[in-house]
Amino acid sequence: MGRYVVRRLLWTVLVVLIVTLLTFIIFYVMPPGNPAVRFAGKQPTPELIAEVEHNLGLDRSLPEQYGLFVKRLFLGDGDECPVGISGCGWPGLGVSYDSRTAVREEMINRTPRTLALIVGAATIWLIMGVSIGVVSALKRRTIWDRLAMGFALFGISAPVFWLGLVALYIFSKTLQIEALGTGYVEFSSNPWGWFTHLLLPWFVLALLYAAFYARMTRGNLIDVMGEDYIRTARAKGLSERTVVLKHGLRASLTPIVTIFGLDIALLVGGAVITETVFNIQGLGNYTVQAAQGADLPAVTGVVVIAAFAVAFMNLLVDVAYAYLDPRVRYS
Amino acid sequence: MRRRTIAALVLTLSCFLALGAAGCGGDDGGGDTSGAAATGTGGTDTGEATKGGTFKTQTDAFVWTGNFDPTGEYLGTFLGLYTNMLGRTLMGYKHLPDAEGNELVPDLATAEPDISDDGLTYTFTLKDGVNFGPPVSRAVTSKDVEYAFRRIATPALVAQYGFYYLGVIKGLQAYSDAGGLAKDPNGEKPIEGIQTPDDQTITFTLEKPTGDFLYRIAMPAAGPIPQEVAKCFTKAGEYGRFLVSSGPYMIEGSDKVDITSCDTMKAMSGFNPNSKLILVRNPDYDQSTDDTRENNIDGWEQTLNTNAQDIFDKTKAGQLDLAFASEPPEVVREYTQDENLQDLYKINSGDRTWYITLNLTQPPFDDIHVRKAANLIMDKEGLRRAWGGEPKGEIANHIVPDAMFGGDLESYAPYDTEGDAGDEAAAMEEMKQSKYDTNQDGLCDAPECKNVLHVTRNTDVWKNMEPTIESSLKKIGIEVTSREFEDSYTVIQTVKRQVPISSTPGWGKDYADASTFMVLFDSRSILPEGNVNYSLVGLTPDQATKIGAEGTVDGIPSVDEDIDACNEIIDDAERNGCWEDLDKNLMENVVPWVPYLYGNADFVISENVSKYVFDQNSGEPAWSRVALSSGK
Repeated sequence: MGRYVVRRLLWTVLVVLIVTLLTFIIFYVMPPGNPAVRFAGKQPTPELIAEVEHNLGLDRSLPEQYGLFVKRLFLGDGDECPVGISGCGWPGLGVSYDSRTAVREEMINRTPRTLALIVGAATIWLIMGVSIGVVSALKRRTIWDRLAMGFALFGISAPVFWLGLVALYIFSKTLQIEALGTGYVEFSSNPWGWFTHLLLPWFVLALLYAAFYARMTRGNLIDVMGEDYIRTARAKGLSERTVVLKHGLRASLTPIVTIFGLDIALLVGGAVITETVFNIQGLGNYTVQAAQGADLPAVTGVVVIAAFAVAFMNLLVDVAYAYLDPRVRYS
Repeated sequence: MRRRTIAALVLTLSCFLALGAAGCGGDDGGGDTSGAAATGTGGTDTGEATKGGTFKTQTDAFVWTGNFDPTGEYLGTFLGLYTNMLGRTLMGYKHLPDAEGNELVPDLATAEPDISDDGLTYTFTLKDGVNFGPPVSRAVTSKDVEYAFRRIATPALVAQYGFYYLGVIKGLQAYSDAGGLAKDPNGEKPIEGIQTPDDQTITFTLEKPTGDFLYRIAMPAAGPIPQEVAKCFTKAGEYGRFLVSSGPYMIEGSDKVDITSCDTMKAMSGFNPNSKLILVRNPDYDQSTDDTRENNIDGWEQTLNTNAQDIFDKTKAGQLDLAFASEPPEVVREYTQDENLQDLYKINSGDRTWYITLNLTQPPFDDIHVRKAANLIMDKEGLRRAWGGEPKGEIANHIVPDAMFGGDLESYAPYDTEGDAGDEAAAMEEMKQSKYDTNQDGLCDAPECKNVLHVTRNTDVWKNMEPTIESSLKKIGIEVTSREFEDSYTVIQTVKRQVPISSTPGWGKDYADASTFMVLFDSRSILPEGNVNYSLVGLTPDQATKIGAEGTVDGIPSVDEDIDACNEIIDDAERNGCWEDLDKNLMENVVPWVPYLYGNADFVISENVSKYVFDQNSGEPAWSRVALSSGK
């Protein structure tokens, strides 16, 4: 087990390195425009552009820039922060072109918001999706099954931004429940406010995934419940509850765990719409701002961290696999 | 700037890339309490100027060009905040709407400067009692103004409009060429054209007469900056989080900054360029030195809200005092149609022009008759509808907004058509004279008239305009192919792209002199990248070779000499007349644009605002004059 985890961790580092290279090529090499022009004023003369390029380090050769980028990432950027600005350190993600703040600090400030959104929503969608899927699978072709699948169809079809705006319209604008309004309240300053302000985003984000998970759980469970070993379990006289939960559900959860891990990882950099609608200034929102402002250090920072999250969650998923399915072994 | 959600970020950025200070700063405004300001449904307020309260706003995008460093900021948002609340420049404004708001008045100076007979020397005397706020807390001196110019001339600090001073003030360009403060960190090397014989006197000597020099002096970059703090920041965009106020307010946390050394300084807590700006009263400000600011509110705060609709909802509910975002059409409809809301929708002239640019090097627009025909055929009213209708502005008939000429050219409309909907007969008549109408039937029928690239933005207003532009030009045989870009400004600002026509651009004044528009037609400002002379007026064949411009590069008309001649006129009225003539010349003999809209500045406010005043200079609310209902 230990060797397996170490090996996978080394792979993770390699994957992150490859991602950094691809990210660098995509954002620094491929775009036709020169980001320095944006910061060179109303009349960006070649001299001014050159000055900005120098300020931003864009006057170095591309290999040199990439080398510096990787060096910062692995060794930190502690000495690069402008005067009076804190937050540089390890892992070094550079200084934002736009705001001249340390990308690392900005991400540290924003990551708890995104994680709070993801963890809460994931909990809801997992519980809701799996429960609905189980009920639907066990009550096939009943009204419960129809209702559950109707819900799933709605959840999958309804765009998140629309759901979010409707939720805000109902709860915040019409019913004027201020606690359910937009914005993010720091947990440390007001735990109850933190909870209530996240309720709507949690449910809105969860609904899409819950619907998908319900359909998947239903399909898997129906397949598994038709397996020989389920019939054997029943023949042994096990209670239906034990048969379903211990033998049926456990086996049917394996693919769900895979998807669950990846979904969470992808959301680290991708809950853009939910964050935007509910004004949760997390990583997704930061990515959009950075991409539109040609703020390359910020974009690459988020991409690298998101890539690491995906790789790390993959590792966790693989470990969880072995626990859920004894046929899987570390090898 | 006012913005929507994600799409608005694009608009914001694009605006920032191409509009001038006031132009980008706000697309909205409102009426003065005294009356005459409102041009739309906003009406005026009459409430009393109650003291106190914190004015709360939210924006859906914080956009700065220099992170609040006056040397590096040129957007209207900053201009409004700085001139109203944070900075005293030698000359300033009254922070009022309309023409009065564009008039210069002494601010840091005791009076208008003494100007030498040859128009080359300007001597200002500084007021007593104007102080920097914490952490400096000392009197502002002429040396602090001089230091601001040293910063402008420091290439590493990337002054965003340094061209207003470099080459204009004697010796400043040479100081810049020598590296500026990077090579003179203590700011000791003399600059020939700036003399500070004592703490209260500063004299500028110019290379040549410059009629709008006083406007230039009133820009934030020319405001006093304390060397003891600013010397620590040697790169662009770093001083802004330490901006020391000389105005009635300051950034929250200014008093907590330890300026013992550069190492001990920590950024002011009230400003994060990504998410918040909080201003509080400056304890060192002396109201008796200032007769242009009322300073009614105790504080001002703006935070980020990525959901623009939510900003308007909160404003309507009174949770915010003003919405700092682009009004979606449904909000405009609601506030213009509901009698109870009309007074809360404030509309003023934004002193900006939105236009379709025609590239003089690219066929078929390299033919003046085609350009004139395009002006005659364009359904400008249709384009205005795409923007949201009348509240969004007046139909434009020439380059510089009428308001900036005091209405002198209000009746000047060389391509006027009935209902501003385009005149097919007149346009076809014009087209007949073009070489691209081979059979003189009034239709552009040469191969160059087909598949003409039209570059536009991928956001609502611009997408909505596409059908109107396409159908208008098709009536005279020009078939345009519209392509939407997220970074359309970058596309049209890159000369090598050879874009024939684009509806992307708009331009707003930096200050109330038409010179800030005419720079768009100065061939000396043509650049290979970041070029804003999109039409390439005045381009020479040599220049074309250097910057990669192709097409018809011979015989392009130039107005450089006219610009220089107008710029040198000191008398305001005479200079204005000169610019008016140039505007006409451009519209009739060069025809680089199809101007279609003089954009308004419109803002939605809440009922908490007991006094609302629009600042014509910045195109923003006059923060130094607004007031909140008592008890707020």
